[in-house]
Parts: sequence; C-alpha cells; structure tokens
Amino acid sequence: MARGPVTLTINGEKQTFAVAPETPLLFILRNDCALNGPKFGCGLGECGACSVLVDDRCVRACTIKISALDGRTVTTLEGLASDSEPHPVQRAFTEMQAAQCGYCLNGMIIATVALLRKNPAPGEAEIRAALRGHLCRCGTHMEILAAVRRARDLLVAERQLPRQEQERSAIP
Amino acid sequence: MTGLREVTRDAFLTASDILLVTRPGSGNDPDIYLALKADGAVIAFNGHVDLGTGIRTALAQIVAEELDIAFERVEMVLGTTSAVPDQGPTIASETIQIAAKPLRLAAASARAYLLALASERSGIAQENLSVEDGLIHADGFAVRYGELIRGEHVRIDIDPSAPAKPVEAYRLVGQSQPRSDIAAKARGDWTYVHDVRVPDMLHGRVIRPPYVGYDHGEGVGNSLIAIDEASVADIDGLVGVIAIGDFVGVVATREEQAALAARRLKVVWREPPARPDLNQFEEALRANPAKTRILRNDGDIERALSSASPRMERTYVWPYQMHGSIGPSCAVADWREDQLVVWSGTQNPHFMRRDLALLMDMSEERIIVERYEAAGCYGRNCADDVTADAALLSRAVGRPVRVQLTREQEHGWEPKGAAQVVDVRGGLDLEGGPIAYDFETRYPSNLSPTLALVLTGKVSGNETVEMGDRTAIPPYAVSNMRIAVHDMPPIARASWFRGVSAMPNTFAHECFFDELAAAAGVDPVEYRLRYLTDPRASDLVRAVTEKAGWRPRTRFGSEGGEGDLLYGRGFAYAVYVHGKFPGVPAAWSAWVADVAVNRRTGEVAVTKVTVGQDSGLMINPEGVRHQIHGNVIQSVSRVLKEKVRFTQTAVESVEWGGYPILTFEEVPDIDVLMIPRPDEPPLGVGESASVPSAAAIVNAIYDATGVRFRELPLTPDRVLAGLNGQEQQAKRERRKESGKRLFRFGLGIVGLAGIALGGLAAFSPWRPSIAAIQRLDPAIFSAASIERGRLVAAVGGCNTCHADEKSSALGGGRAFETPFGTVYAANISPDASHGIGSWSYAAFERAMREGISRDGSHLYPVHPYTAFRHASDSDLQDLYAYLMASPAAASAAPETRLKAPFNIRPLMAGWNGLYLDAAKVPFDPVKGEAWNRGAYLVESLGHCSACHSDRNALGAERRGADHLAGGFADGYEAPALNGTQAGPVAWTQSALFDYLRHGHAVDHGSAVGPMAEVVRSLSALPDADIAAMATYLAGLSSPVAPEEAAAQRDTAILASEAAREKARLAHPEGARIFEGACASCHAGETPLVNLALNSNLHSTKPTNVLNAILSGADAPASLVVRHRADAEVMSMPAFADSLSDRQVGELAAYLRARFAPQKEVWGDLEDAARSVRSTKSASH
Repeated sequence: MARGPVTLTINGEKQTFAVAPETPLLFILRNDCALNGPKFGCGLGECGACSVLVDDRCVRACTIKISALDGRTVTTLEGLASDSEPHPVQRAFTEMQAAQCGYCLNGMIIATVALLRKNPAPGEAEIRAALRGHLCRCGTHMEILAAVRRARDLLVAERQLPRQEQERSAIP
Repeated sequence: MTGLREVTRDAFLTASDILLVTRPGSGNDPDIYLALKADGAVIAFNGHVDLGTGIRTALAQIVAEELDIAFERVEMVLGTTSAVPDQGPTIASETIQIAAKPLRLAAASARAYLLALASERSGIAQENLSVEDGLIHADGFAVRYGELIRGEHVRIDIDPSAPAKPVEAYRLVGQSQPRSDIAAKARGDWTYVHDVRVPDMLHGRVIRPPYVGYDHGEGVGNSLIAIDEASVADIDGLVGVIAIGDFVGVVATREEQAALAARRLKVVWREPPARPDLNQFEEALRANPAKTRILRNDGDIERALSSASPRMERTYVWPYQMHGSIGPSCAVADWREDQLVVWSGTQNPHFMRRDLALLMDMSEERIIVERYEAAGCYGRNCADDVTADAALLSRAVGRPVRVQLTREQEHGWEPKGAAQVVDVRGGLDLEGGPIAYDFETRYPSNLSPTLALVLTGKVSGNETVEMGDRTAIPPYAVSNMRIAVHDMPPIARASWFRGVSAMPNTFAHECFFDELAAAAGVDPVEYRLRYLTDPRASDLVRAVTEKAGWRPRTRFGSEGGEGDLLYGRGFAYAVYVHGKFPGVPAAWSAWVADVAVNRRTGEVAVTKVTVGQDSGLMINPEGVRHQIHGNVIQSVSRVLKEKVRFTQTAVESVEWGGYPILTFEEVPDIDVLMIPRPDEPPLGVGESASVPSAAAIVNAIYDATGVRFRELPLTPDRVLAGLNGQEQQAKRERRKESGKRLFRFGLGIVGLAGIALGGLAAFSPWRPSIAAIQRLDPAIFSAASIERGRLVAAVGGCNTCHADEKSSALGGGRAFETPFGTVYAANISPDASHGIGSWSYAAFERAMREGISRDGSHLYPVHPYTAFRHASDSDLQDLYAYLMASPAAASAAPETRLKAPFNIRPLMAGWNGLYLDAAKVPFDPVKGEAWNRGAYLVESLGHCSACHSDRNALGAERRGADHLAGGFADGYEAPALNGTQAGPVAWTQSALFDYLRHGHAVDHGSAVGPMAEVVRSLSALPDADIAAMATYLAGLSSPVAPEEAAAQRDTAILASEAAREKARLAHPEGARIFEGACASCHAGETPLVNLALNSNLHSTKPTNVLNAILSGADAPASLVVRHRADAEVMSMPAFADSLSDRQVGELAAYLRARFAPQKEVWGDLEDAARSVRSTKSASH
C-alpha cells in the first residue's frame, strides 16, 4: 500500500498525518487528536462505539484505515457542537438522561445525527433499524429511543423556527 | 493530559480552612468521609465506585440532603485509594444500602457540629436556627457553613447518634435528580479510564496464552515455550517484548504499533490440555468436586416426597454467560522504584491494590489506585487484570504504559457468569399444596484472582468460595424443605455477574412453583400468594399483576395467537438476597412477561414486561427507573440469546457474533411500577429486576405453547426443538479434512521424469549467460519512454509482485506459495548487485519472453513470461527504460528454495518446451481497435490468465476451453472470465469497466485479495485502456443487455429474501453470527452490494468467502475513494482472530443458504476454513 501523508478535515480543521497507512482512523482521532468521543469497543465494526461521521454518514472508525480518508471530512462527537452550544441531538440525549455508563453514547449520538440528516422524520421502526448495529450492554435502550424521538422533534422545531421568523418578518 | 486527579487524603489532613468528618482507619491516618471547605464546597468520599448506575448522583443527593446544601455543591470522590476509605468491592447492589450509611452519618455529624458552633457564636438556641443551602440563620443572625471553619482545620469523628433528618423533611432525596455526568459524556468531555493520558506514556498490548478463559489446572502459568522477538523486530516504535511466566506483552510508542506487534509476535506455547465439555456442561458440573452446605433442612423431606402426588423431579440448566462490557478493559500504570500509580476502571480499588502489592512485591501503601469510570461492568470483568498488566509492562520499560485489551481478550478472559445446574424435587399434597421442596444448586465460580497473578504463577484460580447461595431459599412456605448448595471451584474462569447465583436459583424456584400451580389446577399468581410469607412481597405481587391486567388462568393457551404466533404471559417474583449467607435482601421485584412464540421458526419475542419493584426509599427515583429498564433489557438478552461457547481447550465466543446480545429491534416495551415506600430504608436496586426474568419468560412460553423449557438460552433452535419434542439436534457429521486448495497442482514423479526425459531438443536446459553491463545512466532514456514504461509496468503489475510490505518498490521479496515450495519474487530494481542493473536490454528481453535469467538459469513460470512473450517490442523497451530509471533497491530478495526435485531449474527447460508457446494473443481486425487493444492488454501484458486459468499438474495454464475459465491465486479463487462465472448477474461491459477502474461493480461487489492489488496497479492507466480491457473481456461471453442484468439482479435479491427463514432454520448459529458480526454493515440500508449478488457466494468453491471472512477486505474503501468523492468509506475487518474455524464454517453455510439459495450446499466448511487459514498463516 502506498505510504504517504494523508490529509483530511477533522472537526473543521485540516490535518495531515504521516503514519502507517493501515492505522485505524480511531487511533488517530484518540491518540493524535486527543478526541475522546469515539471509543474503542471491538475493532470489528460490530458494536458502533467508535462511530464518527465521514461527511454525513455514520462509519466505524475502528475498521477504517487512515489511507482511505485522504481529502475526506470527519466529524466526531466533539465536533457536533457549534459555538460551544451542544448539538440538538446531544441536548436530547442529556435531557432524556440516555446513558448509564455512557460508553456507547458516542455511537448512539453519531448514528442519530446521521439518521436525522438522511431522514428528518423517522418512525419508531426506522429509528430502531438505524440503531440495530449499535450495542448497549447497560440496557439504556428505552432512554436512547426516547432521546432520538426528542432529537427529531427538536430539529423539526429548529427548522420551523427560522421559517416562522421569516414569515413573521415578511408580514408588513 | 491527565495526571493524578484526586487530592490525596494527606493533603486534606494537613489543609486549613477545612472541616473533616472522619472515622479511624486501618492505618495510622483516619479515613475521611466528608470535607467542607471555607468556600462552602463539600467533597464526599466513598469507597464504592460508579459502574454506570448513577451512584455518583445518588450519593451526592444524600450528602446534600443531610447537610442542607444545594446538590451542586457536592463533589463525590469515588474509589481512589489515596483519598477514600476502603469499603470493599462495589458488589451486591450494596452501595446505597450499606456503603452510603457512614456517608450519611458524616453529613449529619457535620451539620450538627456546625449548628452547635453557630449556636455558641450567636447565643441562639440550636432549635431556633434553620439552614438553607449552607446558610445558618435566625432573625438577625446569619452565617455560612464555610465561615464557621475559616482559618481552621477542624476534624470531627462520625457521630453514630447524629440526628438524621426525618423523611418528611427531605427535599432532595426521593426527588429525581438529573445525573451529573451525562451532559459531559454526551459532549465527549468526560474522562473515562480509556481516555487517561499521562506524560511520556507508551502503549502496550498483551498476548494471552491459548488456554483462553481458564485460570487453573494443567498448563496454566507454565505453557510458554519460546518467543521469537525477531518476528517483530522490524516494527517501528517497538520498545519492548516482555515475558514473565505465561504473561506476555509488548510496548511501543504508538498504539497501532503495539497492536501490530501483538498480532505479529510469534509465541510458541504448549498445546493446551483438553477440558471438560462446557457446551454440554451438565456432566462437568456434576463431576466437579464440591463441598455441600445444607442451608435449610425442615421437616422430613424424603417422607414428604414419598407421599407427594404428583411428585416432580426437575433440572434447571443455566449457561455460562458474559458480563460483556462494551469497552474492553483498559488501564494506565506508572511504576517507579518507590511508587506505583495506576489509573484503573476497577470495581474494587482496595481489593485490587492488595493483588497489585502481591504481584509487584510492593507494600500496599506505595500503590495508588486512581479510579476512573470505565464501560459498565455488571460484575467482575477484566478491569483489574488489565491494571496489573499495565503495572508489569510499566515496570519492564520504566515508563508509564497504557494497556488496552482487545475485544477478543475481554470476551475470552473475563471471569464468566458461571453456569449452574439446579435439581429440584417436590410435589403436591392432597390439597394441592407444596408438600416438599428439595433443592440442590451447583455454582462453579469464585473471586477470580487478578489474571497476572495466575499467569506469572503467583496464585492459582482454583479457590472455592461460598457464593452459590444467593436467593437459594424460595420465598414460599413449604413445611418439608431442604436447600443444599454444592460449593465448588470454577471450571472455566468465573466470578460474580449481576444477580450472581440468585438468577439461576430463582429460575428454578419460580419455574418449579409455576409447575406446581399448574399441577394443582390453580392460577400461578394465586398459588404464589397462598404460600408467600412476606407481606411486602404479596403487596408487590398484587400491585404488579393488577397493573399488567393479569387474568387468572389454570391452563396454557388462554392468550390465543394468530397465524404462526402463539401468545403467552408468565409471572415470576424474587427478592435478591446478597452478601454472605443468610445475606441481606435488596429490593423486591416481580415480572409479568408477555411473549409471542413463532411455532414454525421457534423465535420468541418478549413483547412487553410489566415489572414492579419495592425499593424502600428511593434516593433518585428516575435513576431507579433507569436501573430497572437496564436490568430488564439485559436479562431478557441473557435469557433469550446468551451462552458462551467453548472449544475443547478454550472459550470460543470472543466477539459479538459468537456472543450476540439484544439489539434495538428486539427490545420489549417496559412498564415500570415503583412502589412508594419513603418510610422504609433504601434498598439496593442495582440487580433486583434481573432476578425474576428467566422464570417469567419461560413461564410465559409455557403459557403460550404448553411446553416447559428448563435450559437457557431460549434460542429459536432450542425452542423449535422443544416444540417439536426433539432431543438435542444431532451434530452434523463432518467428513475428514480435504486436501489444500491452492493451485490445483499435484505432481507425481512420473510427470517430472517426463519433463526431464522429454529432452526436447529445441529447449536446451543449458542456456548461455549474457554479459553483465555497467548500470545504465537513466538519463539516456527519454522521459516519454519512461512514462510509457510506467504504464506498461502498471498493466503488468510489476510492482505488485516484485515488492512486499518490507521492501522498497521493485525490491522483490514477495513470497508465492506453490505446491513445489515458496518462490520469492526477484529484485527487479536497477541495483547492480541485487537487482537487474547489470542486465542489458537483450538479457531483460530474454527473461521476459523466454523465462531465462541473465546468467542463463531458468525462471519459474510464476513469472508469467508465457504471457509477456507476446508484448510488443516497444512496450518492452519502454518497460526496460522505466525499470532502469527507477530508484535502486539495495536489498537482496530471499532466495527461492523449492522442494526437490523442483529445485532443479534446468527441468524448466522441458517445461518451456511443452508450454511456452501455448499462449496466443488473439487478433481480429474486424472487431475494432478497442477489442484488439483489450486483447493485447489482457492476454499479454496483463497476463490475466496467470490467475484466471486453472493449471495442470505441471503448473502450466490450461488452454482451450479452460483458458480464463477460472483458477486460483494466492489462496483466492480467481473466477472465470469467459462467461461461465458463478454470480447471478451477468457482467456487462460497463460493469467490467467499473470493476477494473474502481475495484467495485454495483451488481457484483468489490475486488479483494490479489485482485485489489491488480486494480490498484491498473489505476495508472487511462480510461481508454480500461475500456479496451472491458470490451475484450465482455466479448468472451454472450452479450447481456443492461435490462437483462437488472432483471437478474432483482431475481437474485428476491430469492435471497425468500430464503431468509429457511436459511436460519438450517443454520441457526450461522444466522446468529451473521446478525452479530456482519449485519451492522451487510443488512438494512447498506451502501454495500447486496450479498445475494456477490459472485463469491455463488461460486462452487467457498474459498473467497472464507478468505474474506478471515482476512477482511479493505479494497473498496481505498480504491473507490479515489474516484468518487462521496463514496462510502467502509472496510471489512479480518475475523481470523475472532472466529474459530467452526464458527466460520457455520457462518459460511448460512451465507450460502441465505444468499445463494439455489446453489448446491458447500460441504466440509470447517475443514475448508482451517485450510484457508493455514494457507494464510503460511504466507505471512
């Protein structure tokens, strides 16, 4: 495999890494960028704890080699917030207290963000299907499902808000 | 960076502006339970830790309540040995019930002391003073807590008679309090032990012995024979390889380097001894030496049994299960001559510190355990083990070391929740009451000493402890009752796991009483209420069944069903009794479970659980609710799905495919009833709601089907067998291992003699050498020629074969396994001594066209000169220019040494006489330029047939109809290119183009293995050349219209959907592995090609499927990305270290049945997997 530095954008910042090409993205994020959101869970893409967004898709950082990411954009749990305001999905998970140990929380939040970007109004079955490959051992599923529904509603409200404002300001 | 986080006890003991509430400790210093600072901040200390249950929040509520301060003012310090008192391990749900008591008293003592002080200062009587958020006030007087101690160091003892607040006055306790950690966790700001980084830290990995999951017995601690350090010597950043007894570890600068070294380190171990069968473990448990404890012996059990009618004897079997923490354990250690600091996710910091002291030969006082949260553990996982591992590695390298266990290590080595076998005898008296209850339980488990102590030979894990007695006594009044516990050492490594022995014991009690009720013709809830002796239990049972709308029933089937589904409801009740017998009861719990059983497939869905709990006073009710949810979901998972599998020598289930847990789609609705008991003492809520689970579900299945199950888990195959009244499905016979399938050579000595004696005159075995030349100055070649040569090299894949991971480009060294032995690719860089720098063009051309080296010796036809001989002169000249202008690689490739008689290179002359001219490049002016260009690229430079044609016994490609009809390469099957390929969708020209260009075709899949390298090499070529190859290759089969291909695709996908259920019934374990290990990418809305279209799954041979499972496939990600900016980034990991040959075989059988249902079943898959694995390991 070709060796050579790989440049990608992580949480909005362009970064270059000259490491072994097969290095998993997860190790780069955690050890080189000190981004602790993505967690090591299985190294096999089975549990989802390491999930990050590549562009808008939820992928498993433990199995993605850094060499596959040249020129791509990666967002981690830490990169979801804007202006230090938590992302609505993060807010929803906090409101619903959707964590016990919280180790799987990263994957659940990232998967939810990806789901809601693709499908802003998912039904119960779609939510469960989107999370099926994300394992939680504490049994926080009820709270997580509630958080996803809450996040969906928050985002819908957020989208409507500017529209309403626009409409209001349009009234003479 | 994280250093020591907690302020030490010493610092508090010498601080000023502080009030400390203490109790005499075991050492010279007192234990601190609470500290109040002059600024009003309160730090409270507890020896227990938060395992994800929210204890941190509940404890802070208790402190804030008793002190009358705001919740936010309290900071909890949990577990860290340099700060907190030793309150034993965080087990048995006892934090709130036991460990919180001194804390509460400490807060009450502080409040009383401060009030007295304020009263003294103000002259106002204490009863006239009131407190609000730490402000003591009465008319005209006000003082803050902090002010009272400013400038002082006050130390008071916990006053056991300090007035605790009456419940009526509570404002925080009993109110739901959002947890203090979740917001930070949702932002990624929380520091878990996995996130600890200390200055100068290195990364470690451990390599465990082959007796995975056993901690005593033959071979344990003394199985290491040798370590080949040279096997990892070339890994960048490697700092050390450490071995002590059977403890082996590696340390490197970067984590991926340590991980690579751990994978690659060659360690020779003694063959592990065969162990008792723990898949069918009943016999092993009965044979395990035991000491019997009789916990109760009332009445005359034998006489009562003899008069019982009916008399029932039942055996309940509970499997080995896993804690299954989502994060494999991790720790950091910093060893110095005089001190060891560990950052650990331990459940029992002080208990572990004793183990570390023993392991490291240090006194406990010199060890600090900084406790950080880890992934939820539900009992004893590998948190302590990895801490000890880190300590050993840090001492070996003299720097801080972080050790992260792999998923496979956590699964394999975590002390398991023990299997249990419970025998119950009993029956009814004449009135239908329980006349006798004779109960015997076996629990092979102990405290699991820290693994490093076992591996280094310091202790053995064979101790027997008395923990099989949890909830061993049923809650019902039976006058003749004998309860016996057979205390025994573990067989496989086992220790406490949520519910400990109470879960299996209750499974037996509550199923047996359900059966008694049915035999008596009484509703099972009514029957229990008749014999329950505990009024709080009866209250709970009534409340829960009322909430669930329980309708009394005296026979099964009353819930009805629809279609294949049968509905049922089951009830169970338990109080979890923990601690040393007779133990302490925690919260009471009762379940009504609703199930739907598919009588055709055996699938059981738990659709709803109505669960009630009497927890006494609830500190944080929402926290209790979450804990109940967690227990319900985890225990449903255990009951329906979970069983650890073993090989003869080791734990076999080492990832989530082999040990699947409940997923979102399987989670039941949960209706929680929490009985308000604010006036009763708080009870442990950590585990109680798990305990009735198994019996409630099994009783519900009985209610649905009339069949009683007494063994877990309730997998579809078990349930179906039960419904069909079948015995255990007989294991399928497996035929003996078939021969290796590499290249299909098989050469007898007669064939060789044929070559040697054939003596074809035209092919003299002795060829002249061509004189060496001075290395040419690259400047003599034109840039254009070099560039054209680069493309020729790309088509020919020169650098694919003539380089390996270690060598520089064109430096050679790549090994080719052939049945004749290993052939190493030569260095073809222009280095004068190791490469071909001294070769003239004439020598080069002869090698390319005739397979003769410059010195006159014959090359082996692994070098595809049979194809290259048809290359155009100009292409070969350009290639020569390119090679000569490339950087020289001054390293010798390994010398090829074949097995005799294949090592006689002159024999190749005879070979050439037979086969050299067999290949031809077709030329047909009628077919146009693209086709002819494609033919040239495919048949000459591209030498596709070298892999895609079968070879005869002499290693020559078969021609004629066999040309491009499929072959083997590097242990992979190279499928047919001539229209006879196996996949369900015919290859269109555009699909071929996509595949060669991008390594991926939508209706076919991705290039992996050697083909991925070919595609990578071809990426240098212009689209026109790729299109030309596609044109020629498409012409090898009959033309297919795109609509036809689309119809084929739809048909294949429909067929695979239709085969889903049949495949699952035929291969239940394979189906489970697929769900756990593969479905996260290969099911649902996936951007990957539907597996129903995957050519490899449709092939007559399973080779490529097995290769993909064992070696993974990262080609699509690395190839596609170059061409499509929005392409999915995915990569399939290798499962060679995670799945056994048997598991791979089960999985492949399921895949075939599910995705290529119309194709013939693959046979001997376990053997085939073994063969592919051994080929793979031989070539690395």
